[in-house]
Amino acid sequence: MINFEEELKKFHPSVEIEEAEDVLYSQDTTDLADVLVDVIKEAQEEE
Amino acid sequence: MECFNCGCLLTENEFCTNCGADVRVYKKIIFASNRYYNIALERAGVRDLSGAAESLRQCLKLNKNHVEARNLLGLIYYETGEVVSALNEWVMSKNIKPLKNIADDYIEDIRSNPTQLDTLTQAVKKYNQALNYCMQDSVDLAVIQLKKVLSMNSKYLQAHQLLALIYMSQEEWDKAEKEIEKALRIDTSNTLTMRYMKEIDIAITQDEGRSQSKKKSKEEKNAKKYKSGNDTVIQPINNKDSRGLSTILNIIIGVLIGLAIAIFLILPARIQTEVAKVNEQVAEYSELLTQKTADVQEREGQIETLKEQLAQTEEALEAYTGTDGTIAAYEQLLEAASIYMQEEPDVMAVADSLGKIDETYVEQEAPDYFKSVYNELLALIGPEVSDSYYQTGMAEFNVQNYSEAINYFLMAVSFDETDSLALYQLAESYYRNEDLENAVIYYNLVIERFPGKNSAVNSRRRLNTIEQQQ
Repeated sequence: MINFEEELKKFHPSVEIEEAEDVLYSQDTTDLADVLVDVIKEAQEEE
Repeated sequence: MECFNCGCLLTENEFCTNCGADVRVYKKIIFASNRYYNIALERAGVRDLSGAAESLRQCLKLNKNHVEARNLLGLIYYETGEVVSALNEWVMSKNIKPLKNIADDYIEDIRSNPTQLDTLTQAVKKYNQALNYCMQDSVDLAVIQLKKVLSMNSKYLQAHQLLALIYMSQEEWDKAEKEIEKALRIDTSNTLTMRYMKEIDIAITQDEGRSQSKKKSKEEKNAKKYKSGNDTVIQPINNKDSRGLSTILNIIIGVLIGLAIAIFLILPARIQTEVAKVNEQVAEYSELLTQKTADVQEREGQIETLKEQLAQTEEALEAYTGTDGTIAAYEQLLEAASIYMQEEPDVMAVADSLGKIDETYVEQEAPDYFKSVYNELLALIGPEVSDSYYQTGMAEFNVQNYSEAINYFLMAVSFDETDSLALYQLAESYYRNEDLENAVIYYNLVIERFPGKNSAVNSRRRLNTIEQQQ
């Protein structure tokens, strides 16, 4: 049976237009390719 | 595909032909990213938007520079009402690939229609407000707000889901089902939507089951059971007896309902119609009254103006016919002229008419043409009239009626100032009448005006006599 209070927690406020800039800049855009490049660089440095 | 190290275009080899970097793992990551993108495309094609979004997020975790994935994710956000998130994705996409990027068109499309953008962002704000109301247990307000949100943006998935959840909490299953169906039309495989759908189906089934069992038990209670041999026969209720009674009851109820409708619905409606008509008439009359009042006021104004004009006209008329007697002067002048123009004019009558004209008016106020006519007439009749007055004056003088003689001589002098005898006889009449003061004035006038004449000599002599007497 659905619990209204619990279900409500799953809903999050949508991003408003005034917050768009902050969200854009604060977004973590690191991808696996970045991680790979970092790992390779670290390995090369150790050598 | 470009090398992560030097940016050179990669070949089928497992290393970069330019810098020699090992690109085996990198290539696998990029292939996996592309695979997720393809899955997302397939899911989006069957409107499994949440599934597609999940795949696209995975794709971007592997390769953040996947422009098509970002554009598609933006489209999915836009389709589910998350306008700002959509714009974020498109802006990032444009940042990665500034030229020949379809995200540019999407952004331009939104920018060129500010009204639509405003409506969509307002919908987002209202949705957040509705969520806040829910947190504060103001569910009714939240419902109102969510309805507004959906009227502004009917594709707002979260709003549909939240509204469905509220209806479910209030056990309004039909309404919840409608909202969920709408949410499903936007996103066919959303987990949350599917779960709510399942819950609603269960609840509706349970409700139907309960109502059916209630009905069944009621029927069973009313049914007659008896045994025929080994069988138990359940005889349904025979409503035959009560059918007639119920028909009558139904008719009575129908009549009562009809009456109630007539009393509570039709009658007030008719009363309202009549009242509306009366109100309309009152409004018409009041409008008419206002119009008439305005007319009366206008007429009063006109009367006032006319009164003023009349007063001015009367004043002007008074000026003409008043104490200065302008009109009278003109009448007298015309009369004099008319008499003079006869074949044998009575010069005394002309003189009489001219004499009635106020001399002050002639000298001070009369226009030039009036003066000209007046003086002309006077010059024409002057000597003759003067002579006539002189003769009469002499007659009076001879009978020693000096005061009368003075009047006639004055008239004679007024009509002909060149008559030295008349002037002398006037002075003489004053002398004989023992008015020495006036006598001296006129004797002096004779001497002054006619110095070479006998009358002047006689006047000088008379003045000497007066001096001796004094």
